Amino acid sequence: MRKSVTTLVMVLIALTVNAQVDRTQMPEPGPAPEINLKDPQRFELKNGLKVLVVENHKLPRVSIQLKIDNPPISEGEKAGVSSLTGSLLGNGSKNITKDDFNEEVDFLGARISFSSQSAYASSLSKYFPRILELMADAAINPNFTQEEFEKEKEKLITGLKSQEKDVKAIARKVTNALAYGKKHPYGELTTQETVNQVTLTDVQRFYRNYFVPANAYLVIIGDVDFKETKKMVKEYFTPWTKAVPPSFQFSKPSGVQYSQINFVDVPNAVQSEISVQNLIDLKMKAPDYLAAVLANEILGGGGEGRLFLNLREDKGYTYGSYSQMGNDKYAPSLFRAAASVRDAVTDSSVVELFKEIDRIRTAPVTEKELKNTKAKYVGRFIMALENPETIADYALDIQIEDLPKDFYKTYLERINAITVADVQNAAQKYISTEKTRIVVTGKGSDVLKNLEKVSLNGKPVSVNYFDKNANTVEKPNYETALPEGVTVNDILNKYIEVIGGKEKLEAVQSYSLTAEAEMQGTKLNLAIKKTANNQFMQDVKVMGNSMSKQVLNDGAGYMIMQGQRKEMDEAELKKLKEESAPFPELDQLSGGVTLEGIETVDGKKVYKIKVSDDKAVFYDVETGLKLQVVTVAKMNGQQITSTIALSDYKEVAGIRFPFLMAQAMGPQSFDFIVKEIKVNEGVSDADFE
Amino acid sequence: MKQKVVSALAILLLVVTAKAQKVDFEEYKLDNGLHVILHQDNSAPIVTTSVMYHVGAKDEDPEKTGFAHFFEHLLFEGTKNIERGKWFEIVASNGGKNNANTTQDRTYYYEVFPSNNLKLGLWLESERMMHPIINKIGVDTQKEVVQEEKRLRIDNSPYGRWSEQIAINLFKKHPYRWQTIGSLEHLASATLDDFKEFNKTYYVPNNAVLVVAGDINIEETKKMVQDYFGPIPRGADIKRNTFVEDPITETIKAEYRDPNIQIPLIMLGYRTPEQTSRDAYVLDMVSTLLSDGKSSRLYKKIVDKKKMALQVFAFNGSQEDYGSYIVGGLPVGDNTLADIMKEIDGEIVKVQTELISERDFQKLQNKFENRFINSNSSVEGIANSLARNYMLYDDTSLINSEIEIYRSITREEIRDLAKKYLNPNQRVVLEYLPEEQPAN
Repeated sequence: MRKSVTTLVMVLIALTVNAQVDRTQMPEPGPAPEINLKDPQRFELKNGLKVLVVENHKLPRVSIQLKIDNPPISEGEKAGVSSLTGSLLGNGSKNITKDDFNEEVDFLGARISFSSQSAYASSLSKYFPRILELMADAAINPNFTQEEFEKEKEKLITGLKSQEKDVKAIARKVTNALAYGKKHPYGELTTQETVNQVTLTDVQRFYRNYFVPANAYLVIIGDVDFKETKKMVKEYFTPWTKAVPPSFQFSKPSGVQYSQINFVDVPNAVQSEISVQNLIDLKMKAPDYLAAVLANEILGGGGEGRLFLNLREDKGYTYGSYSQMGNDKYAPSLFRAAASVRDAVTDSSVVELFKEIDRIRTAPVTEKELKNTKAKYVGRFIMALENPETIADYALDIQIEDLPKDFYKTYLERINAITVADVQNAAQKYISTEKTRIVVTGKGSDVLKNLEKVSLNGKPVSVNYFDKNANTVEKPNYETALPEGVTVNDILNKYIEVIGGKEKLEAVQSYSLTAEAEMQGTKLNLAIKKTANNQFMQDVKVMGNSMSKQVLNDGAGYMIMQGQRKEMDEAELKKLKEESAPFPELDQLSGGVTLEGIETVDGKKVYKIKVSDDKAVFYDVETGLKLQVVTVAKMNGQQITSTIALSDYKEVAGIRFPFLMAQAMGPQSFDFIVKEIKVNEGVSDADFE
Repeated sequence: MKQKVVSALAILLLVVTAKAQKVDFEEYKLDNGLHVILHQDNSAPIVTTSVMYHVGAKDEDPEKTGFAHFFEHLLFEGTKNIERGKWFEIVASNGGKNNANTTQDRTYYYEVFPSNNLKLGLWLESERMMHPIINKIGVDTQKEVVQEEKRLRIDNSPYGRWSEQIAINLFKKHPYRWQTIGSLEHLASATLDDFKEFNKTYYVPNNAVLVVAGDINIEETKKMVQDYFGPIPRGADIKRNTFVEDPITETIKAEYRDPNIQIPLIMLGYRTPEQTSRDAYVLDMVSTLLSDGKSSRLYKKIVDKKKMALQVFAFNGSQEDYGSYIVGGLPVGDNTLADIMKEIDGEIVKVQTELISERDFQKLQNKFENRFINSNSSVEGIANSLARNYMLYDDTSLINSEIEIYRSITREEIRDLAKKYLNPNQRVVLEYLPEEQPAN
């Protein structure tokens, strides 16, 4: 007995030893899991509505999706009407007020949402019958009122306004508008002007024309019983009047004739949005559809795509770079490779994106790349099966995209049959390097100079300029020539005039200023005092402790940096004297400064005046105000530029002072917000001791 | 007789419903302190392997912020047995997907594979825990990537700094005052040794939980887990500091200007207690009452009826030590931030003074039931919930019982806690403004 126990232990130990894994080797996969793709149950109503039902009882919930598969619709000068129709749908119906409708949906813990040609609802299965009824009622008997219309219109306009400076939103709009042209449904721009053209009647007409059952699909998934569901759908959706949407023609968009850069200037951008794109004719039912999809995946499908590996992992230009191969049964779709990159590498990123696009066409992909990418698709296909909506999505695809019945049943087989040559053929067919449009949205003053030097495949590339609405514009001019006859004193005088006038400024014997800034939660306090007798004091405190102090008095000066006092030398004194006068411009009228030219700061034209070799001041051409001071300092052999942007001018004792001083130096920046300015009071000689 | 049959059937139905929502799991510890949770669900041939480490931005040195998030990048660079740059390829070429994310409290890594690759998932995560390669090239590359991430998500993104602005005002002592992305200067100046030290301290089995969920066999899985994770040595015990904030007793006014926006935003931020407290659950209900759905109070009044705001929101950002309760809105047209704030305050006062109706209360319960059921809808989501409940709530079974907490909350509690936490003198008022005021 005893012996057998020991034997057992021995066996166990042996097992454990044998089982010790060799972790230097990547584990091999087990046998492939079995795939079981079910078909949804279906029926059709007399009005044309096609219904698909997937029973899945894992969780006590149901989702309902209504999709109307109409051809693209041109909204023209009323662009925005579809969006407004969508927002006005789902606000109750002719039978139930908006408030009661919303209240009941919320009460049941459910969701119902509409867009111009679709609707979606989800709920616990115990409330499904009522939610289905409410959704059908809201879809068939919408309650369009003038009041709601006005409200939604204002919201849409406010939303458009909120995107005016959003670099990504601008890039997205312009990218499509340039690809398709603004007359094509896919390229139309919804603007404040077009939204203002839309009336309630337009919305009603749009609904009547397009929210019709001819091309409609209703998909119900979840914890339901087919027979009961069929009965309910028949009851609730039969009143939907049979109709077919009007069809109309739109011209086929044409791509560019030669590769080019299209540049959109957005002065507030800190990153450039790049899209390298061309139009393609690709439908899901095309025999080479899957090969095209794999080519795209290898190029830019994710964290293993060539774009990601090159632009992010190798170069660190971007957080991510990806490509898409669109497909569309009604119109050309878009292939695009894109990245959001920092200003300084905009040109290099364009070059790298193009290089990768060129490579996927000219060189065959490796067997390994193809094998890995196929595995990715297989895995994705298997993982999607967890979601009961997948079955419905596949069935819808087959119907809508006119695919063979067994498209998804043979999917894995067909993926696995694709060869390296198939991928290259598809890449050459669908991805262009000769006629590619490179849309760059970014800060022109920083990126254009280098972008204009870009050459692709050894050829220089022309740059065309567009505004935020995809209209052709002149090349933005960042260094405008000076208007004739303007002198440095004209600018200084204008500034003196707009802030209060010579007389008032000369009457200033002293002023003091306190300001606050925050740096990562820490408060910085700044105090400056100046007098007309060359006295100057500046003190920066962090949490009450003086971090740096500079004092100038009677021709001598010192500074205290983190507790260390140091007397100033000649050069330092000279520099500080430039600062010390309450209004240096008064002295500068008698010379010593030069007018350098016109530049752009934050989208505004400014005069640049050079005060010394390492200091320049910028005055707004239009308002005359001082907008920016740039100084260059040498620290440990490196040049460090410090920029102070002045804004928020407010009047104190009849003189306008900037109340916001935003200082940027290297990667650091802080906004000093002026708390108080006193003129001719609160300053005594003791302040400069 | 007939009556009886019906009720028996009803009971049976109830039982079935209840069962359908239960997530079965098994949990245990390895000798090295690694906590393991297994959940079997064979309805689809997929498996999730995930590891949550109890390290987040709040564990960072104030002079070295951004480390936890930086590791979320760094630990994909490679291990002793996984060559640099091959991680994503291995996952994808085996039909899987993977990702990671970092919060103030914890870092989470996961893979989802077809279930025949369970072993691979375990190998990857155990490699990461056992011997990641932390070297100069990896650190330098990821520094660049993180800088771009910050530009993309924060600097170039409209309203990208609201969270930072609320945090620096709401927290003065607690590390919650900085963001998970941290300081780029800190990262730039950090040395290789700094990173190695951080790894040694926090990325150890006794500071982690492994979850395996999906199409698995429990006994086989246990053995594989032991094979891959058993040999990893235990780390030193982790010392954690406690940070106690002084109560906010006076309104903190703050302003921020964002060059990427046109429409200003008002945000009211309140400091709330730790997420495990009952109060935090009650505050979840308050935010749902205020802003979830078209019939919610703030939406109905400010967006719908008065048409003063483009959007309103209220949410309870729950965290391990403190939460941030945030209410706010974006004005439409000529309405000012002060107008919106006044309306919001009116609704908050109403919650504080009037008991909500029975119907509103039932509505809240329905919403939470719906949310609860949907939260367990994917294996990937279940894995995350199991890890979170164990690590941050110290109760794995919350995955099945959390709904009971919400069910037990009373109407009085909703009123009383709104009164306790949501007062004007306890909050930050953040005016989040466009860079320049429109000319008029």
